[in-house]
Amino acid sequence: VENLVLQETEYTPGIYFDGEQNVLELKGKSYPENTTAFYAPVFSWLQEYFSQLKTDEITVNIEIVYFNSSSSKVLLDFFDSLEEVVIRGIQIVVNWLYEQGDDDMREYGEEFEADFRGITFNFIAK
Amino acid sequence: MQKPLYDLKQDLNEQGVFFCFSGPISQDLVVNIVTILAEKMNLENVSKSTIVRVFSMAVEKAQNILHYSDEKFSEGHGEGQNQELRQGIIVVGYEQGHYFVCSGNLIEKTKVEKLREKLSKLQQMSKEELKHSYKEQRCKGPEEGSKGAGLGFLEMAKKASKPIEFDFKDLDDKMTFFSLKTVI
Repeated sequence: VENLVLQETEYTPGIYFDGEQNVLELKGKSYPENTTAFYAPVFSWLQEYFSQLKTDEITVNIEIVYFNSSSSKVLLDFFDSLEEVVIRGIQIVVNWLYEQGDDDMREYGEEFEADFRGITFNFIAK
Repeated sequence: MQKPLYDLKQDLNEQGVFFCFSGPISQDLVVNIVTILAEKMNLENVSKSTIVRVFSMAVEKAQNILHYSDEKFSEGHGEGQNQELRQGIIVVGYEQGHYFVCSGNLIEKTKVEKLREKLSKLQQMSKEELKHSYKEQRCKGPEEGSKGAGLGFLEMAKKASKPIEFDFKDLDDKMTFFSLKTVI
């Protein structure tokens, strides 16, 4: 599949999904007016990518400084879709990057870690 | 006009309010409001986590107005995409060592009871219960009529240092003024 690149804006994250290197990156803030509409192309890209995987490991870098409540649901759906890939024997490593001292953001990551046992989480303070 | 406007500003000052917006709102306006709030607090060396919490409360409240306020103007004659503007009030201040964010908007009276029940429940919950309920609701997905994940109030209650405060003031037989206050 072709890479998916969406430039970061004031209220939507930069999305850099590289299907060749198998690196998925999300970076910035997420509070669009219509969350479902914004993320629809992201999930359809993932569906296509997952259907033709040629790797046994995917790296996910998440560096979000803020996400609103509806984006939190999107992240849950994102991890759900990753976990389906884990079941197929593919290793997923999530690097959860957060700003030093932002305990809330670290905690959000830890809550996802608790819910998705099949995914490896690394917590990195910047 | 000069005198009453000054009085209004004095009133706000006395209540610790340093930001106030009242009127129709758009997504662009939400972005500008929360960005300027973050910039201001950043200049005052407020801690990162407090800034994000104030930012978060302001986004949730402003987007609630954007999505659900029943005080709205719409242009009926446009074909296909109807332009609609919803309005409300947002207030941010600092009192007794804590930041607070308030919002207010009109809602139809028929929605009051359901909302009151929901918010009363949140008021009674402990931090642990809020966390649990947040996770549960996030898995379950939104109720009908929601334009997000149905998590906004839970998100605010979870981040607040005190139980959320709310009020309903009946205006006539159709409309109620709904206000909400959260303390960081």
